[in-house]
Amino acid sequence: MTTPGPVRGWRRTLSLRSAGVVYALVGLIAVLTITSSLQGRPPYLASVNLSNILDQASLIAIMAVFMTLVLITGNFDLSVASTAALSGTVALELVDRYGVAVAVVGALGTGLVVGVVNAVLVQKVGVNAFIVTLGTLTAVRGVVQVILDGQSIAAVNPALHGFATARFALPVPVAIIVGLVIVGLPVFAVLRSPARRRAMGAAAGPVVAGVLLVFVSVAQPKLLSQTTPVWLLLVLTVATSAVLRYTVIGRNLYAVGGNAEAARLSGIDVDRYKMGAFVLNGLVAGLAGLLYAGRFNSVDPTVLTGGELTVIAAAVLGGTSLLGGSGYVAKSVAGALILFTLSNGFNVLNIGSNYQNVVQGGVLVAAAALYTATSSRGQAFLKARFTKESAEPEDTTKESAVSGSR
Amino acid sequence: MVTPLLAAEDVRKVYAGGTQALRGVSLAVEPGTVHGLIGANGAGKSTLIKIVSGVEPATGGTLRWRGEPAAWASPAGALAAGLATVHQHTPLVGSLSVLDNVFLGTQTRLRWDAGAREAELARLCERVGYTLDARQQVDTLSVGARQMVAILQALTRDPALLLLDEPTAALSPTERAVLFAAIRRLREQGTAFIYVSHFLDEILELTDQLTVLRDGRVVTDRPTAGMSKQDLVTAIVGARLAAVEEPPEPAAPQGEPLLEVVGLGSAGRFGPVDLTVRAGEVVGLAGLLGSGRTELLEAIFGADRSATGVVRVAGRTLSGHSPRAGVRAGLALVPEDRARQGLLRDWSLTRNVSLPYLPGLSWRRLLPDRQREEELADRAVADLGIVTGSTETPVGSLSGGNAQKVVFAKWLYGPAKVFLLDEPSAGVDVGAKADIIGLIRRLAAAGQAVLIVASEFEELLGACDRVLVLRRGRLTAQRRAADTSLHELTALASGL
Repeated sequence: MTTPGPVRGWRRTLSLRSAGVVYALVGLIAVLTITSSLQGRPPYLASVNLSNILDQASLIAIMAVFMTLVLITGNFDLSVASTAALSGTVALELVDRYGVAVAVVGALGTGLVVGVVNAVLVQKVGVNAFIVTLGTLTAVRGVVQVILDGQSIAAVNPALHGFATARFALPVPVAIIVGLVIVGLPVFAVLRSPARRRAMGAAAGPVVAGVLLVFVSVAQPKLLSQTTPVWLLLVLTVATSAVLRYTVIGRNLYAVGGNAEAARLSGIDVDRYKMGAFVLNGLVAGLAGLLYAGRFNSVDPTVLTGGELTVIAAAVLGGTSLLGGSGYVAKSVAGALILFTLSNGFNVLNIGSNYQNVVQGGVLVAAAALYTATSSRGQAFLKARFTKESAEPEDTTKESAVSGSR
Repeated sequence: MVTPLLAAEDVRKVYAGGTQALRGVSLAVEPGTVHGLIGANGAGKSTLIKIVSGVEPATGGTLRWRGEPAAWASPAGALAAGLATVHQHTPLVGSLSVLDNVFLGTQTRLRWDAGAREAELARLCERVGYTLDARQQVDTLSVGARQMVAILQALTRDPALLLLDEPTAALSPTERAVLFAAIRRLREQGTAFIYVSHFLDEILELTDQLTVLRDGRVVTDRPTAGMSKQDLVTAIVGARLAAVEEPPEPAAPQGEPLLEVVGLGSAGRFGPVDLTVRAGEVVGLAGLLGSGRTELLEAIFGADRSATGVVRVAGRTLSGHSPRAGVRAGLALVPEDRARQGLLRDWSLTRNVSLPYLPGLSWRRLLPDRQREEELADRAVADLGIVTGSTETPVGSLSGGNAQKVVFAKWLYGPAKVFLLDEPSAGVDVGAKADIIGLIRRLAAAGQAVLIVASEFEELLGACDRVLVLRRGRLTAQRRAADTSLHELTALASGL
């Protein structure tokens, strides 16, 4: 049999299947830039507009990073948006009475508690994750409604608002140095590594990011000034990808999602990893809620309703498998950016927002179909469908030969 | 002479990989008889069942049904002609009632007439001489009752010939008696049976005619009456006796007990079982399918949470039943189903091999050291002779023997002292099988303890110092490999 070996190195990392979501984002921005300039509107790539998109997407993107973690372990969490809403509510209820510290602890603690409840019900009691989190989605939203009793509340204390909307600017020289370091380290690692071609694959992502950072610091220095949530998103994304890629913890997270039984029989504590992902996801939902409440300094009972679907959509756009065992957090962030760029584009181009959901839904389904069709299993399936003479895929006959010889 | 109901004439089967499963098998099933079909693992029984029931086509020879060439090419075709098959693991829908399951897929009328169906089920039950509550959910039934549901399901098609594949593997003695009574009743009413079983006592008790397969050929085809147990064992084992490898040299003085199992049991599965494996010793567990052999091995490893009893590794009692504790104490398990339990198919060989002891290969037990991982993978490839294009190949694309070596490699370079091997050479070719047996002997020579489960007893005789016989969940005998024979082991495990 002459199956072509897997494509190696940077070509694989930059292939359509691996980096498609990034190309889609770039393409989308290009289309919007060209269209808005043809229509004589203000330049789409203006730093104000880009900063806007980033700021709007940041909270959903933060949640998408940790949703990806849960999905990698083979679980599912529908409750994040409700959890965030409750955390935000708790924060605003507490901040005027007890001060900022109590509000922050209360908000994060709320998220943690919901995460623990999800984790215990799914891993220890053994209820299906979809059902459990559908329940917590509804119940936690109910708690928000009980607390708010139909009213929206606002905080007087400006501290949370100040924190969530503060802008921090990275000085240009620092940004350039960081960018060069990001480019330099992997290149250095590649030159030292014996398996150079594969190491180049691993280096492609950071190198592109570093080059982009240097380019931005020179061409659009205003983009280096971003709000707290955007910086937090950046830090959490980098930290989570590093853990997933370079640590034993990350390896085991992929293993328990890829084949829980094989992981268990290899001595890995499967429950601990799956529960850890849930708890972390709850905690981060609490953080997102805190930032969301801070952004407007007020919450109402319907805040973030339906947000969990956007979060999951972002992860799916990023190519995360709902079956577990695969996914990359940076791509989920790109997925979130696509969704927010789309809605931002509709506003900028002044297209009715009625079409927005249709297009977003279409993009999601198209992306999922593309991922399935380009997977090796999908290709085999399509091949079997469209070539009539080979009704029986080769694998099957091989399998039966093995079982028959026993 | 009566026309046989089903006749196979010189049926051959060669699989795509070149394996010759059947080399010209002929047999004839007379109406109203129970026809026994027996043979060791790999003798070709499963293949013959698949061909007769229409799951797979034969590559040569003819099948005749009531004298005419059989025209079916699918299980549905066979069923329509009047041949029903009850497979070993019958797919029943657990959440539905007995009634729903028995009439599953029957499409005589569009309307689901529960009353008529219940009456029909009652008639069937009367024919069989066994009563079932039509409304009970199948999940809540015992294994034996489920087997009866499967048989009733087959009977709704009113077959002239019923093929039963290992129907008693999971049954208790009472359930077995009920099943036998039902088969005899149906035989009186004219239904013919092909009865496939590992249990020789059952074959002698129940069948009228029997066919013994060995290496894809018929070695015996005669009436059961007048056949003795010894004849039967000889027919099954045959010339293989001579082919058994020389048993290993009498073991060197053995070390302290590395694995001690005291009173280990799991309700409904096996036990209680006591056993000891010493350093440098290879012990085999000889048991048939359904004897609880896999369950015992997994319970020792800690993978069975409901198990009770004590497992000691090198004198240290394992606390709690978890694989994690087992691995830490120095146990290693090579599981039976390597695709489902042993490997991450999409992962590279390197990552699979490093999985159990990854922290040990990592900087401060946290950051995996890629170079050490790759060195380990290269070492495994060289030591075990794994044939692969590169250590980065996903293990899902490796052949059976090479994939099995990867599962072994996972444990070889860590602190494991006791190796639990479940069917270590299942589905691997002859060359890889020899490699694996060599590897097992090397482990023992290095002072490790090995416990092997294998359904091919020759393999146990070739690799082990001592063989324990497991039958229906209990250890029933113990033999030194040098003092026993394939003949004796087959007899002990089959319950003669």
